Amino acid sequence: MSEVTMVHGEDEFDLPTVVEVFSTDFWKAFAPETILICGLLLIFIIPNLGNSKFRIPLTKVRVPWFLGGKRFKVTGSPAIPGILATGTLFTALGMMAIEAIDGNMDTTAVMSNGIVILQMDNFSRFFEILFLAAVLLASMASLDRIPAHTFEGKKSLEEMYDNRRQADFYILMLTTAIGMCIVALAQDLFVLFVGLELASLATYVLVGFHKESKAGAESGVKYFIVGSVASGVGLYGLSLLYLEFGSLQLHTIAANWADSTILGTIALGLVLVGFGFKVSAAPFHFAAPDAYAGANSPVAGVLATASKAMGMIGLIRVLLVIALPEAGADESAIWLYTLATLSVITMTWGNVAALGSTNPKRMLAYSSVAHAGYMLAALTAVGAWKWGEVEAPGDYAEAIVAAVLFHLFVLVAFKLGAFLVLGLLEMEGGASRLSALSGLARRDPLIGTAMFIFMLALAGVPPLAGFMSKFLVIAGIVSTSVGELWMNGTVSFSEIHWVWWLALAMFINSAISVFYYLRIGVVMFLDVPEEGRRKPLPYGASIRMAIWICLVATILLGLSGDTLIDMCYRAADSLNLA
Amino acid sequence: MLIGGLLIIVAGLMAFFPSLNDSDTTVDWISLPLVGFPIIVSCILMAFASQESRARKEVIAVPIRLFTLVASLIPLAISTALFFDWLIMVDWDLAYNEYALEKEYVWIETIGVSWHVGMDGLSFPMVWLTTFLVPITIITTWDEKDGATYHPLLLMMGGALIGVFVALDLFLFYVFWELTLIPMFFLILKWGGKDRRYAAQKFFIYTFCASVIMLLGLITLYFLQPEGSGAQYGTVTGRTFDMTVLFSNATAYNMGDNVFLGEDMQNVLFAMLMIGFLVKLPAVPFHTWLPDAHVQAPTGGSMLLAGVMLKMGAYGMLRIPIAIFPDAVVYYQDVIMAIGLISLVWGAIVCLGQTNLKKMVAYSSVSHMGVILLGIASMQPIGYAAALFMMFAHGIISPMLFAVCGAFKHHYHSMEIGAMRGMAKWSPYLAVYMMFAWMASLGLPLLAGFVAELMVMIAFWPEYGWWILLPGAVLAITAAYYLWSMQRTIFEGGDEGQPPESLNGETPPDITLTENIGMIILAIFTVIFGIFPFIALGMMDQWTVAFFEGVFNLGGI
Repeated sequence: MSEVTMVHGEDEFDLPTVVEVFSTDFWKAFAPETILICGLLLIFIIPNLGNSKFRIPLTKVRVPWFLGGKRFKVTGSPAIPGILATGTLFTALGMMAIEAIDGNMDTTAVMSNGIVILQMDNFSRFFEILFLAAVLLASMASLDRIPAHTFEGKKSLEEMYDNRRQADFYILMLTTAIGMCIVALAQDLFVLFVGLELASLATYVLVGFHKESKAGAESGVKYFIVGSVASGVGLYGLSLLYLEFGSLQLHTIAANWADSTILGTIALGLVLVGFGFKVSAAPFHFAAPDAYAGANSPVAGVLATASKAMGMIGLIRVLLVIALPEAGADESAIWLYTLATLSVITMTWGNVAALGSTNPKRMLAYSSVAHAGYMLAALTAVGAWKWGEVEAPGDYAEAIVAAVLFHLFVLVAFKLGAFLVLGLLEMEGGASRLSALSGLARRDPLIGTAMFIFMLALAGVPPLAGFMSKFLVIAGIVSTSVGELWMNGTVSFSEIHWVWWLALAMFINSAISVFYYLRIGVVMFLDVPEEGRRKPLPYGASIRMAIWICLVATILLGLSGDTLIDMCYRAADSLNLA
Repeated sequence: MLIGGLLIIVAGLMAFFPSLNDSDTTVDWISLPLVGFPIIVSCILMAFASQESRARKEVIAVPIRLFTLVASLIPLAISTALFFDWLIMVDWDLAYNEYALEKEYVWIETIGVSWHVGMDGLSFPMVWLTTFLVPITIITTWDEKDGATYHPLLLMMGGALIGVFVALDLFLFYVFWELTLIPMFFLILKWGGKDRRYAAQKFFIYTFCASVIMLLGLITLYFLQPEGSGAQYGTVTGRTFDMTVLFSNATAYNMGDNVFLGEDMQNVLFAMLMIGFLVKLPAVPFHTWLPDAHVQAPTGGSMLLAGVMLKMGAYGMLRIPIAIFPDAVVYYQDVIMAIGLISLVWGAIVCLGQTNLKKMVAYSSVSHMGVILLGIASMQPIGYAAALFMMFAHGIISPMLFAVCGAFKHHYHSMEIGAMRGMAKWSPYLAVYMMFAWMASLGLPLLAGFVAELMVMIAFWPEYGWWILLPGAVLAITAAYYLWSMQRTIFEGGDEGQPPESLNGETPPDITLTENIGMIILAIFTVIFGIFPFIALGMMDQWTVAFFEGVFNLGGI
């Protein structure tokens, strides 16, 4: 045994501290989330502060009431919601990050009437950090992408539009973040679905936010319809699960999974449709390219990173926490072949479709489908292990889950970064044609280089974060397929589990993907800027800052990802797989 | 300001890598001076130049060129000094799996990756060659347009290439292996010929596809290693990417002490790793990226591509798969020999039909790389030494070939062999260099190429007997296509010659001073290593003997 098991073994598994809802410990544990909700309320209240007075009935006494009436100039400024949202997200994220980076979190479970509703542990904290980071970067970028203008002077129609929807936009952003946090924390499938829907409904509106453009409204409606169908199917699955197990508690279902009937399997399949839509896995991915292409780039970035991670939580919870074989059972998971097929189809479909798309946003959407395929392949490998044969199967599962978490986290750096660069281009016109990027490296060498680095990271070129994550995922798959064969003496090729071929499929796919990622680079560095785009890029301080943060993270997490890998391992460990 | 920034970054890098062994206080001559310095300097220069307007770029190109040249001379000085023991005494008399100037720093603890560098008789000649070629390339292509980014890219390329040769950690090796693609991609994309878009993408995708298959092989190999504990081992995976550990495990297996991998597993992994290296080499079924990349690449890019980058393939083969799976080498011996022969014959025959000078030279590279494979397939120590010397000799000769092609293109605006007659009249210097390079490449005795080819033939005979007639005949074909192209371009055309139409009737000029300097240095070294091959061959022989003792359990050359 190596040090691995010492550090990440089951021995250290500590029971959660149970707290009641709204007790003192509850507020202590959930301070960052509380800040988010307070921020949300403030965005509701502050822009509405005005000089209104309230007349006490039957008297002539007028008490100042401050809500409504003529708005105060300072608080009524259209810039306020954006600043508030960004500040709130930043504070909450900072609190979480400080807590999570320097060590183990205490596991805190929230009970009510004997039901565990939420549980705060390394896993949920990790995802909350991811979500808040993505939403924070997107709202930072939106400060420039949908800028607030002052009231002075004459306004164009577009500027007035921009001003009108400031509060709406950031309220939706914060709602998305809160919904996602609930998904991360949920220990009950019903609560998880409530969080998922909260976040989804907010994103449906965000996708169709540009109602004056045709593509925006269309994509919003499309995304909403497909998304609601997927949610409906998922909810139906939940009801069947409830029928089978009499509870939607994760641990209850997991404990009774081995004795379940075929109904449980069918229900599981239906639930997976709901989550499959969120991670945009084939064949539920059709709405994704349209949604991304119609949405604002920062919003599309959130969809491609945080929203996908949210779906991934669902998959991890349902597939790995509930439907894995018991430790010691000599079998593979039942969903193994389905998921393996889906993963290969998803990654190949995504990459092949991306080859043919000339719209950079659609291309990024398809590439995100391909990335979903990679992560499904990783989850398949967890289910592939014949658990009876190893002493500590948890190590292998943990390694893969940690790799998936790492991949999801670094996607925020480079995929969102790529979307933000497109967002910068949208500020001077559209970014829905490849030619919008032409000559970018000449117009703004730093932004062009940043975009190229994001593309290389997406393709998985070392030493960037994208390489590291793909490497870890593949290493996880290979380690499962190879297992502890070295202990048996001479290893022959036929003894290796077939999931090894998934690793090969991933590599072949990432080789295909290089083609379209490079095309962006070629267009940026070689082509001449198109008419009307000869001037330098618009400035946009905060969007540029968001891009720099993404760039630095892409490079640093590739060069030295140790801290993040450790965090991922702690998060995977707190799932207590097998 | 530039220097100050440099110092800060260097200090930061030093703090970044905590040493594995605190008691080791010797100077690290590899990490920063040979690898880090060129890459960092070039990045700073390019970032600096990118902020300037186009007009300013032309102005600052000259100081940047000079600075780049000086910066590229520093690694050359260091590597030369290391060879002659001017700086410190370096013990090059190494046993198998021992390295000079070895340094190890922890990099990614969780999965057992370390920044582990060192040099031995296999890598040092290649490192010296790279440090030598970078300044030569910079000098030869002194007039290239947009020099403010062009020359730093060459410098960066050099740093990444040296990184490949000194890496003693599989992960680090792969990182540098892929890092070399990026400067070369840009060199082809921004300074290439008409079809540069196609060539650059083909080059990148081809090599990337091959190397991901290689990476899968490496990862599988990694997880088949026994777990261990120690500073090099990953805290989470319990395995290590350290090559030295891998080699000693493999040696233990080959000596029969330990059980490692089954025969079919060895063969599969060997094949996966070899695919990556064969594409880079390139060997015949995988060679189609090379002519495109070479024809479109700028002169400097071609010189480094042919001079060093192709050798990465041969180096990688000798360093990793052959050292770990000697049994698989025996199993695949005939396949390797066949690929080598086909590359040799195919490359040469295709050369005969080329009308484009640069394409002809590119295919001749394919042909010469086949010779390296023959040396490896021979399974004789002398064959391996020959392969090493071929890598080295071709690394000096082929840049000269491409420098000639580049000068030809530069002054005649054409690469067609048929377009030009009687070059000797108009451009005597270029004609002389062309003749010299062509002769060196076809294996004229007393020039570097001859030694390697002769040694390969000697090694080939005991294994394959009369098959030797085939490579022998190919050498005749080689002579034919070189002499024929020379006859057409340099001579013929009567007293007046026949300048190409692309010059529009102007008098063809001779080569510039910087091209002259670059080529004459290359020519001098071709002669030196042709007459005194043992300068480099001594170290290679020594490595080969140690390698055969350690890997094949045989001794003696």
